[in-house]
Amino acid sequence: MKTKLFALAAGMMAATALASVPAQADVKIGLIGGVSGPIAAMAPAMIDAAQLAVQQVNEQGGIGDGEKLVGVVGDSACNPQGGTDAATKAVNIEGVVGLVGPHCSGAVLAAAGSVTIPAGITLITPSGTSPEISGLEDKGTVFRTVPSDDFQGRALARTMKEMGYGKVAVAYLNNDYGTGLANAFKAEYVDELGGDITQFAAHEEGKASYRSNLAELAKGGADTLVIFDYGDGTGLTILRQALENGFFDKFVGGDGMKSDAVINELGAENLSNFVSSSPVGEQSESLDKFNEAFKGVGGDPDAIFANTSYDAAFLLALAVEKAGGKKEDVAAAVTEVSNGEGEAILPGEWKKAKELIAAGKAIDYKGAAGEHNFDAKGDVPGTYALFEVGSNGFEVVTEMQ
Amino acid sequence: MEFAGLVNYALFMAIFICIYALLALGLNIQWGFAGLFNAGIAGFFAVGAYTSAIISTAPADGRIGGFDLHFVIGWIGAMLAAGLVAWPIGKICLRFRSDYLAIATIGIAEIIRLVIKSEPVLTNGARGISGIPRPAGDMGYMESQIAYLIIVLAVLIVAYVLVERQFNAPWGRMMRAIRDDEDAARAMGKNVEFRRLEAFIFGAALMGLGGAMFAHFNRSITPEAIDPMVATFLIWIMLILGGSGNNRGAILGAAVVWIIWSVSEIATDRLPHEYAVQAKYLRLFLIGLMLQLVLRFRPEGLLPEPLRGDQRSTKSGADRH
Repeated sequence: MKTKLFALAAGMMAATALASVPAQADVKIGLIGGVSGPIAAMAPAMIDAAQLAVQQVNEQGGIGDGEKLVGVVGDSACNPQGGTDAATKAVNIEGVVGLVGPHCSGAVLAAAGSVTIPAGITLITPSGTSPEISGLEDKGTVFRTVPSDDFQGRALARTMKEMGYGKVAVAYLNNDYGTGLANAFKAEYVDELGGDITQFAAHEEGKASYRSNLAELAKGGADTLVIFDYGDGTGLTILRQALENGFFDKFVGGDGMKSDAVINELGAENLSNFVSSSPVGEQSESLDKFNEAFKGVGGDPDAIFANTSYDAAFLLALAVEKAGGKKEDVAAAVTEVSNGEGEAILPGEWKKAKELIAAGKAIDYKGAAGEHNFDAKGDVPGTYALFEVGSNGFEVVTEMQ
Repeated sequence: MEFAGLVNYALFMAIFICIYALLALGLNIQWGFAGLFNAGIAGFFAVGAYTSAIISTAPADGRIGGFDLHFVIGWIGAMLAAGLVAWPIGKICLRFRSDYLAIATIGIAEIIRLVIKSEPVLTNGARGISGIPRPAGDMGYMESQIAYLIIVLAVLIVAYVLVERQFNAPWGRMMRAIRDDEDAARAMGKNVEFRRLEAFIFGAALMGLGGAMFAHFNRSITPEAIDPMVATFLIWIMLILGGSGNNRGAILGAAVVWIIWSVSEIATDRLPHEYAVQAKYLRLFLIGLMLQLVLRFRPEGLLPEPLRGDQRSTKSGADRH
């Protein structure tokens, strides 16, 4: 039996070795995502969106002299173990010129720390929002197309202060999303703007009742409750119970709370005092183009992080073209193709971009999720607006600065 | 695919195998020697990883430390901390019989994970700690991996030699006696509770060391790493497949399982493009299938527990424990 097992293992490895001879003249990029694991429901749409960018590149002339761009999918399982494993394979076995992903912040930190930074490979994450990613000593190789949680929390604090909100209580979900937003909000609202947060409390998800949490939050005499949670999950329960029991008069949510589930479940007439912040694609033309194209391949453009994933892949392709396929120049090229200077390139305009790059002209990618003008840390400032509930769903109240 | 790339990948796998082998060795002390069903490996792994991270990172705002000390101090601290955490847990939980102990340890690992996630002052909460120095991390990609492999391999060899000595020593025989027949061992005058606690703490310390080496390799540790799938159950599969009660089996199991786990993705990637996402789940299936096959056809593992009687003669008076 021992021999059988060994034979099985050996056979598998031999098959692998035989199978892994790559086709020549393909340019590969790694699409590392949390295919299995906690974000398994989100990952397929994100990977499909990135593959859409790859498909558009190939339809419109490919990379360099018509070389084919190939997206190699890897599974980070949303944890550092899987993230480093997938990144190592992509970089060393597949020989990718850059990575889109991993999706989860922990996997991004580990994959960058142990694989891509030492190897000098560019990494663009479409969904790693942890502020820790800004602080990586990455020699300029780590980027993201999604704003750090810091941006939104601070922007929301400034906007609320301007609109005259006074004492607030903050309830946040105890994960990296909720914690990151809440801490950034607190830092800006209290320390920078001198606002008053009466209660600041984390909650665990999935409980049936949050009335005791709410009673505690209401103690400081705040009339506004700020909720950093998901509107189709625990955040909905909290909002409903706060409304039912009249704990607070006004409610403010982060982008997770801007969910249609809130309106469907609670009714627009009950939500006149509810506003939530959310990222908006500033170049609506870019967003329209992406939405149309993604619908065309059977994708759902409203899927979370689909547009950032597309942008990450398209940007990486542009950078590879700009760098002439040289891996070590890709990172510098990412900032060159999207720094606010040069001819505007919208999603899907690969042919135009390719011609401009060939002519040596500067280009500026305006992505579906924003302009992506990277700062020195490889971060993008988000474009956010505050939404209220109107008769036709969420409507913009004001742009957030 | 370049040759250098293959070497880099092999180095990476070897490092991971060494780290997992340490965890499997720790589990072998607990389960293989003492028969303690610890289903909370991830908890001790996490304690070690975070302790070493706190000790060796540069000072940071808003949390304890970092103390910017040498990584060796971090690793020793990781072992001590994991052992220290294991002590009260063992004191309370080891009174349970095997399956109840499994439930209790799962719960404890979950408690540790939630504490780590919820205490920003201690662990920086959900964001985790980054900027952990990697020994020999300033060199090039491949050189740095080689250097790190040498370090973890040296640690693994030392740990293996020490554990193997313990196993062959009277202590090892006593542990197995307690495992196989508690009452008989008690009748021989062995302090069963104390010995079990000893094995539990030794094993936990090794797991903590494994966690520390993992954190330093990735230069970061986040609560996402404390995933029971990859930090508890994968290690159980390694030990069961390799052969519980056999230290070489534990190491072999770590190597076989990790290689299949990692390499199978390259194989499943050759499936047609439209199955790229689905193919990832084949790996999970493969690991499950492998465990089923091993349990069905070779329950003692690839390298079964050695029966010592024919290899060593017991000197009279050596069994003084």
